Amino acid sequence: MTQETLKPQEKKALIELLYQLADDDFLLAFRGSEWLGLAPHIEEDVAFSSISQDMMGHANLYYNLLEILGEGEADRIAHLRSPNQFRNAIILEEVNGPGTYLKEPDYDWAFTVVRNYFYAVHKHIRLDSLRHSSYEPLAEAARKIMTEQYYHLMHWEIWFKQLMTSTDEATLRMTAAIQKVWKDFGGVLTLGPYYEDIVKANFIDDENVMKKRWNNKIEAVLKEVGASYPGEPRMERGNGRNGVHTEDLKQATSTLSEVYATNPATGW
Amino acid sequence: MNESTNEFYNVYEVFSKKTDKSPFQHSFSLLAPNADMALIMAKENFFRRETVADIWVVKRENIRGLNQDEREMLKRLDKQYRETKGYGYLKKKWRDYNQEQFTEQHILGGRGDNS
Amino acid sequence: MTVGMSFNQLSEDEKMTHFLDRINAGEKIEPDDWMPEDYRLQLIRLISMHGISEIMGALPEKEWVPKAPSLHRKLAIMAKVQDEMGHGQLLLRVAEDLMAPLGKNRHDIMEDLFSGKLKFHNVFHMDAPTWGDAGIIAWLVDGAAIISQSMMLDSSYGPYARALKRICAEEVFHAQHGESIILAMAEGTPEQREMLQDSLNRWWESLIMFFGPKSAKETGNSNADKNIMYKIRTKTNEDLRQEFFTKYIPRIWSLGLTIPDDTIRFDEDSQMWIYKDADWSKFKQIVSGNGPQSQNRLDLRRRSYKNNEWVRAALAAKKAI
Repeated sequence: MTQETLKPQEKKALIELLYQLADDDFLLAFRGSEWLGLAPHIEEDVAFSSISQDMMGHANLYYNLLEILGEGEADRIAHLRSPNQFRNAIILEEVNGPGTYLKEPDYDWAFTVVRNYFYAVHKHIRLDSLRHSSYEPLAEAARKIMTEQYYHLMHWEIWFKQLMTSTDEATLRMTAAIQKVWKDFGGVLTLGPYYEDIVKANFIDDENVMKKRWNNKIEAVLKEVGASYPGEPRMERGNGRNGVHTEDLKQATSTLSEVYATNPATGW
Repeated sequence: MNESTNEFYNVYEVFSKKTDKSPFQHSFSLLAPNADMALIMAKENFFRRETVADIWVVKRENIRGLNQDEREMLKRLDKQYRETKGYGYLKKKWRDYNQEQFTEQHILGGRGDNS
Repeated sequence: MTVGMSFNQLSEDEKMTHFLDRINAGEKIEPDDWMPEDYRLQLIRLISMHGISEIMGALPEKEWVPKAPSLHRKLAIMAKVQDEMGHGQLLLRVAEDLMAPLGKNRHDIMEDLFSGKLKFHNVFHMDAPTWGDAGIIAWLVDGAAIISQSMMLDSSYGPYARALKRICAEEVFHAQHGESIILAMAEGTPEQREMLQDSLNRWWESLIMFFGPKSAKETGNSNADKNIMYKIRTKTNEDLRQEFFTKYIPRIWSLGLTIPDDTIRFDEDSQMWIYKDADWSKFKQIVSGNGPQSQNRLDLRRRSYKNNEWVRAALAAKKAI
């Protein structure tokens, strides 16, 4: 399929899917960028920053696909939407911990490792499916993004496994982080209200198929590191795909657009 | 034990190949607790711009190098008998037989002419 | 050196002579080579301060990373701040190898920073309240850094020279990133131009301070002179400052911006820029941790280091298993 051959209903579903993909990467990249200069180790700071940049670059690719579909300029889409227009999963907008990136950031590295690892596993599965998307521009974008995804997955998997199998303190912190992420990670695994149209048009595999792949992988990894599988991940605070969000997203979008919004017409 | 003495800050030397065909070259060092961590950090600390075909990380304590004193052993006198410059007179010899002396290209290419 | 005689058998004086001969012949000193204690200490002082300044220098610009006004700008400034951390990494590694024989490692560098024993560069103690500051830092602060770093590209200490070579290559991107930001503002709305001019006003004195005082009498130390003798550096503070003026003042003027010093002019007779000198007592106050952002930035670094101690402890223990 191309832009010209999309039926209106398909186009609507495609746009929804693209917002999910773009906003997921955009918000998690933003949370990653807040860690700049604050990671547990200088070498890791540099490595982590590359991943945040890659993810923001991926969001940019998706926003550009939305621009082509008539949603407005990529920068405008990224910076000027109100929070209820965002389609990211709630767990990805969550703050890194108490404090802000400017003042008293008591950020939680265990939460960051768990959230990023679980997301990287899902993103890998999602991209693997998107490579065969019926919408050719999306398939092409997915193939490009996949080249960088291998590193992200490897990076977070090493962090996850090492911290899970080190000291008692680390295991405790990691287990608490898994429980925290689990409460809302279901939001990442869903395709939202346009699910049926998205799947019918073959833009991506059925969410149940991808969910199963994710569950299988995570269950195996948890077993490997001696942790128990807590059952299906949940969506306790609602479904971000429906535009339901928390205060954390409001804070995120106002920071992200602080300068852009003062002068979107001229540019910076 | 505090962080000065614990085993987090190990020095790893990083080597890389630019392309499949190039040899490994040394490129800086980093601190990491183990080799897996050293690898994932090496990639972005040293190769976030240039392309790279392969990476090695080696714990520094596993490298046996030379100290300043030992480096004296690297010095030596000229040994013309094992270098081509010791065989310059062959050119004239072959000329006596109406033959050109083989160049390096001839010898390695296994061909007796330039055509 | 006497033929056949081991280097270790030389007297201290002979070693020193041999060392100075090597330096004067343009040879590079490597970490395991013999070096006078004074040379080692000078290098540690210079390079650990340089390295930690890169790490602390990430913080003012980092304030603008999420706020950068477009996706492209967000990516570019993230890459730039990442490079600063990367430069810190390269430099701290050089310093750490020099400190190893003294039984010190990165942890000690961090502790020295937190206790105020290890100072960082004056510019990174300052406020960066607007996006214009992100532009001025990348354009002029990095511009100043390029000048002082490229002077040391031929430093007598091999690992420092090699690290600087890589750093300078990346600084070219930083300079262009800065030019791109400030040109967009200079060509933008009156408000944007005004924001840029404000930032220049705010940063000018810090830029004068960047290169350090003219001579030892302002600060009472002579490290710069010593470093010239050891061929660690090749130019004086004032040489570098004049170079900076020559390179940047015409550009600042060409954009119609005003330098907040009405005495500044190029003197044809002396071929030198005449300018209003910085307040060096203020400089001393700033680098001693009393600048407007000194404690806040130190707190960010201290907090993140302490909060994440469990992570390093976990991996250290893991390694031991």
